[in-house]
Amino acid sequence: MDGKVKKQRKHQQKHSGPQAEKKKLKKQGPSTEEDERRRNPKAFGVQSAVRMAKTFHRAQDIKAKRHHVPLVDRTPLEPPPVVIVVMGPPKVGKTTLIRCLIKSFTRQKLGDISGPVTIVSGKKRRLTFMECTNDINTMIDLAKVADLVLMLIDASFGFEMETFEFLNICQVHGFPRIMGVLTHLDAFKNNKTLRKTKKNLKHRFWTEVYQGAKLFYLSGMVYGEYQTQEVKNLGRFISVMKFRPLVWQTSHPYVLADRMEDLTDPEKIRTEPKCDRTVSLYGYLRGTYLKNKSNIHIPGVGDYQVSDVNFLADPCPLPDAQKKRALNEKERLLYAPMAGVGGVVYDKDAVYVDLPASHVKQQQEDVRPTTELVQSLLDTHATLDAKMAASKVSLFSGSATLNPEDVEDQGRFQEETVLDPETGRSRRRVVFGDDQAQDSGSSEEEDEDEGVDQGEDEGEDEEDDISLFLKETRERDAPPQKRQKVEQTAEVPVFADSEDELEKSEDEEGSDEESSEDDEGQETEGSDNDEEDEEEEEEEEGSEEEEGSEEEQGALRWKESLQQKASEAFLRQQEAAPNLRKLVYGTVAEAADSQDEDEELGGLFRVSRPQNSKRVHADALDCSRFHPDITSSWDLQQVLDSIRDCFVTGKWEQSEDAATLLKEDDELFGDFEDLETGEVHKKQSGEDDEQAESDSDADEDEDEPQVKPDDIEQKKQRLEKKRRLKERFDSEYDDGEGTYLDDLKEEMQKQAELNRVEFEAVDDETRVQYEGFRPGMYVRLEISALPCEFVTNFDPHYPIILGGLSSSEGNVGYLQMRLKKHRWYQRILKTRDPLILSLGWRRFQTIPLYHIEDHNGRHRLLKYTPQHMHCGASIWGPITPQGTGFLALQSVAGIKANFRIAATGVILDVDKSVTIVKKLKLLGYPYKIFKNTCFIKGMFNTVLEVAKFEGASIRSVSGVRGQIKKALSTPTGAYRATFEDRLLMSDIVFLRSWYPVTVPQLYNPVTSLLLPVGQKDGWAGMRTLGQLKFELGIRNKPNTDSLYKPVTRAPRRFNPLHIPKDLQKALPFKSKPKQQQPKGKTPRDLQRPSVIREPHERKVIALLQALGTVHNYKTKKAKTAKHAKHKEFLQQKNQQEEAKAKRQRELRKKLYRAMGQAEKKSARSSLKGASED
Amino acid sequence: MASQGLVYDGCNFFRQRLVLSTLSGKRVKIKNIRSRDDEPGLRDYEASFIRLLDKVTNGSRIEINQTGTVLFYQPGLLYGGCVEHDCNPQRSIGYYLEALLMLAPFMKTSLSATLRGVTNDPIDPTVDLLKLTAIPLMRKFGIDGEGLDLKVVKRGMAPGGGGEVMFKCPVRRTIKPVQLTDPGKIKRIRGIAYSVRVSPQMGNRIVESARSILNQFLPDIYIYTDHMKGTSSGKSPGFGLTLVAETLNGTFLSAELSSTPLGQGDPVLPEDIGINCAKQLLEEIFRGGCADSSNQSLALLLMTLGQPDVSKVLLGPLSPYTIEFLRHIRDFFQIMFKIEVVKPLEDERKGGDKTLMTCVGVGYSNINKTLK
Repeated sequence: MDGKVKKQRKHQQKHSGPQAEKKKLKKQGPSTEEDERRRNPKAFGVQSAVRMAKTFHRAQDIKAKRHHVPLVDRTPLEPPPVVIVVMGPPKVGKTTLIRCLIKSFTRQKLGDISGPVTIVSGKKRRLTFMECTNDINTMIDLAKVADLVLMLIDASFGFEMETFEFLNICQVHGFPRIMGVLTHLDAFKNNKTLRKTKKNLKHRFWTEVYQGAKLFYLSGMVYGEYQTQEVKNLGRFISVMKFRPLVWQTSHPYVLADRMEDLTDPEKIRTEPKCDRTVSLYGYLRGTYLKNKSNIHIPGVGDYQVSDVNFLADPCPLPDAQKKRALNEKERLLYAPMAGVGGVVYDKDAVYVDLPASHVKQQQEDVRPTTELVQSLLDTHATLDAKMAASKVSLFSGSATLNPEDVEDQGRFQEETVLDPETGRSRRRVVFGDDQAQDSGSSEEEDEDEGVDQGEDEGEDEEDDISLFLKETRERDAPPQKRQKVEQTAEVPVFADSEDELEKSEDEEGSDEESSEDDEGQETEGSDNDEEDEEEEEEEEGSEEEEGSEEEQGALRWKESLQQKASEAFLRQQEAAPNLRKLVYGTVAEAADSQDEDEELGGLFRVSRPQNSKRVHADALDCSRFHPDITSSWDLQQVLDSIRDCFVTGKWEQSEDAATLLKEDDELFGDFEDLETGEVHKKQSGEDDEQAESDSDADEDEDEPQVKPDDIEQKKQRLEKKRRLKERFDSEYDDGEGTYLDDLKEEMQKQAELNRVEFEAVDDETRVQYEGFRPGMYVRLEISALPCEFVTNFDPHYPIILGGLSSSEGNVGYLQMRLKKHRWYQRILKTRDPLILSLGWRRFQTIPLYHIEDHNGRHRLLKYTPQHMHCGASIWGPITPQGTGFLALQSVAGIKANFRIAATGVILDVDKSVTIVKKLKLLGYPYKIFKNTCFIKGMFNTVLEVAKFEGASIRSVSGVRGQIKKALSTPTGAYRATFEDRLLMSDIVFLRSWYPVTVPQLYNPVTSLLLPVGQKDGWAGMRTLGQLKFELGIRNKPNTDSLYKPVTRAPRRFNPLHIPKDLQKALPFKSKPKQQQPKGKTPRDLQRPSVIREPHERKVIALLQALGTVHNYKTKKAKTAKHAKHKEFLQQKNQQEEAKAKRQRELRKKLYRAMGQAEKKSARSSLKGASED
Repeated sequence: MASQGLVYDGCNFFRQRLVLSTLSGKRVKIKNIRSRDDEPGLRDYEASFIRLLDKVTNGSRIEINQTGTVLFYQPGLLYGGCVEHDCNPQRSIGYYLEALLMLAPFMKTSLSATLRGVTNDPIDPTVDLLKLTAIPLMRKFGIDGEGLDLKVVKRGMAPGGGGEVMFKCPVRRTIKPVQLTDPGKIKRIRGIAYSVRVSPQMGNRIVESARSILNQFLPDIYIYTDHMKGTSSGKSPGFGLTLVAETLNGTFLSAELSSTPLGQGDPVLPEDIGINCAKQLLEEIFRGGCADSSNQSLALLLMTLGQPDVSKVLLGPLSPYTIEFLRHIRDFFQIMFKIEVVKPLEDERKGGDKTLMTCVGVGYSNINKTLK
């Protein structure tokens, strides 16, 4: 507490004495299991093999259960910012929390928070905060991209429906990390209730998320902000948190757009305000690799194809790797273009973030990243211009195109390239026409900016902006007279779809390449040489082909000169190394040229050639064989020798050769003694080493440079040897441990390492073409033909997510899924009622059919979902990989009191057809009945129909089974049927059959983002039948026959029972009908009057009664006494009897014994007599 | 939906386009099919191929114009199951089988196809060749197990046909990434010398001549003579040889040659076939790589459809068919391969330059397979 805290005495350890001895013994090694085993071997012996097997099995099971399927670690080196979604019911303090967190991380105060806010939180982590409004559409979208959810809960109120809805949404879409934050804790005045509430909320939260989930408490507000220390703690939690990879997120690229620009021509917007817009969206790429021209889905808008992607300099980069613990002020970056950080100025290609005056010092330091951004954007801006310049119009389909230069006065400003004499780099000045006077002011600013940038660039390293740098280098390499063309080619992405080089004929190709070489000024000299080689080679090949044909005709006769030629050509072919990448993928410039090459007549019409050589190639035989042309040369020894080493009989590499391997083994294990023969094998490596050394010495004497590679070689060998040794040791040592899982993990790790290393050295521009854009990059996606509402109704509070789709996910088909009504949803769901599904990236309305699988695999249609059971559902919708979870809602409009998630489930199957059937009972009526045969009508209409069902089993309502036999001619549709029993005319016969159902093809994406601002949560799609009827006031008229009417029953009357007289006589009295009347009331005249006694008489009677009582008592007493006496007597008698019996028994015994002895004696005597005889 | 189709010209690489379209789900339109030809439009064998594709898929839409010069194909989902198909004898079964090999691992249910027609002809890779090279190649990508099997039930030579082939393939949800950079050394050479409706001696004559060339390199050579009789010998006479060199690392390089079909060109001697085929095998060995020249595209496709990991395969020089296939892969999957030329070392005698193909898979997963 105070400064002078008493210093506590340190514990003194004993060094001698019994205590110390004991401790020493303990430290030496507590009685190990080994010891115990030795001491008491019986206890550890195998009692029962079966039990031992069982325990072992169980132990292994438990061990195996803990394992996860190992996955390849595909996290990028520089991961994108972590998406933190702050979610909670209204007025719970979401914005305040974000503001506080941002303030604690970056020391900056944000005013209005809209759109994602990206900050650098640490040396290796960036965070993107996104606030989630209470619109269920937003909740669904953000749950799909969130890495961490901060779930704010108003403790003074308790849980609200939104919280649970959001938890359920998260569960369906993969469950990101969730951290609860309790706010409004200062509302509690009583400490005990506070504690109780905290505990209650915590436990409820745990049951929803997982046991022990972190729940954070923000205890109170200070000046409208949370307490600094608590916010700091929360920030720490966030910045050390680890995130789980979610299946959907890791298998799809996605971008949470933090910036949106409308690129549509303003003139077009002016003339046609509702025209489709071209929009560029910016954001960090997350998930997996994004390919150019791939399909994306924007939840709330629809599916689009990305027309262009490029990566930009990171606006919020991580600090460079430095060995220090904390970030300094200028590394704490903040990037939030959509949020009004002190007023945001949107320019065509830049965003200027104004910071308040108190941050002036910071602002200066923050300039660098902003300018980087501006620079990169300037660069991309040029791309667009180039594109516009490159765009062409054709008057007739298939005719030549008109260039913009041809059309006069089209461009509103022209570009002028100016060569900077100092840097040798071209700068593009914008020269404006007269009508653009009002724009010139801003563009001048822009120019100024550019100038400043360049100044900086020249001063600093130029590599920070890669694209710019590349462009510059290209330009420098190119000769000056070709600059104009370079300008164009450099801007066009290299891998746009190009025509195939192969499709051109040989001669065409030659000319092509010559013409295209001008364009490829950026190519280095070396590659040009390669090209020439290639041409040569092609020519040679041509000649070879001719030769080949000749050979075939000549029936394998060889001339000397031919042979010579062939072998030379063959060997020279090895040396030629064509630039394969260019050969395969070509370049865009070439393709454009080849298209232009078509001859034109009068500028509009093209000459049609009947046999274009290119066409011939396009229509060539489709065959995968790669026919060898040079079989001939395989007679030559020289050629044969060129493949000697491909065979096991050839020479082996140093590392694989058996002899060297053996030698190495010797080196590894040194000398050993053969115990049987007593022979001692000595290590030879010493000599070898010496020899090698002497060799190297000699080499050194000869010349220096040759030695060095030798040294390196030796070092490499040594390392190799070491590695091998280690491997062997590892494999021996870890033999027990090396399970299948470990192997798998190791394999995965190797793969991850390879993934990391493979393209490390390649520059980003090229790497993007091989891999696609990798997660973590800041990308700009250009999307054309977006509806104008996307721009006009843009609201930064709503997230714009660009979810990448894999190749087949853009198609529509039938989806079969397993669905369960949510247990908190109040009603069951009806088949054919439209339902809004959130599946994959999408939200869409569709019409599901519910079904259940019968025991024989039949999918039987259900009218309603079961109450508490899974059922199948089939919809027409976007093809999504199986195993993807989905959730269903009845409506996304407004906020209702009830729980809104109607059902959840998972996709099982994707198909282009469905096999749902519903039960169909065909009814018929017998009109003629023979014994077991019936004629039945009314079931079918024609003979043909009956013929189709011949042999089908039918049944009557009473349960009599039968079979359809044959159609009858009249009446049409009637048939003969046999039954197992005779039918009645009143029976109804029915045939059970199954009728296939078609799933309605409704796929209606929820376009909530296109709705006007403020009404975005009001999307209403197709209404359910129930809703429609309710709104229109339509009530179903029930079938009057089906209505319940009050049951009126006539009272039943029974006739009196009549028994014949004879029978009556024979009956016993009990059963005879009783003739006499039951006894009625005694009539008055028969009633006897009550007797009233005189006092005297009363006395007499009382006396008599007393006497009687006495008498009774006496007699009773006497009786009991007599009874007892009699009992005694009986006992005595019994005893006597027993004694008597005993006596008699003994007597009898004696008698029998005597008799037996006598008999024995007589028998013995008789035996004796016999033996004597 | 937003997925736009692709448009191509001409009937060349017809199978590639349809197969890739089916796998990627992108629709394709092929225009100007032999539009300048005397007989414009699709050939019978192409129509037969489309029919086969229709049999193994569900819900695909095929539209062909009146003259057959324009084909529109909207792929359905790969269904699989038991399929029987009578292939048009203009092309051999190999033509159809090559496409089936590419599609089979991605079906809903495992495929078991019976193809009838020409098993061996000089144009396409024969069934024997695919059996000996493509099947082991597929095993390397994790498509293995009991189910993968290719069986020649009957052999039918070129013009007449009458052969029958059974092909079975299990389905996989994902394909493993591979690193096939070392083909290894050739340890043995095997082969099949087949002959139908000719003297059984033909086979022996082929074997004899082929051995004479190959014995210079390796003693372990065994060439089976496969002479089929009766109903299993098809309708036309013919003979031929398929040779396969197997390396220590399980790479199979192959060459084959068969007699000219009856009534088409000059007859050839079995000795010539033996010698030329052996030379072709040497040529193939010279080219080298971990997949032989006729299976390059299969290997590249399976690499493309792998997990988003780096895959590497060392190939010989790329065939024109493969080069076009690479371009098509870029069109359909936006995947570009890193192509590096690997030159042999100075003192090495291992044939010509190799190409090392590297790519990152698209992370394709078989969406057709049912989840239970």
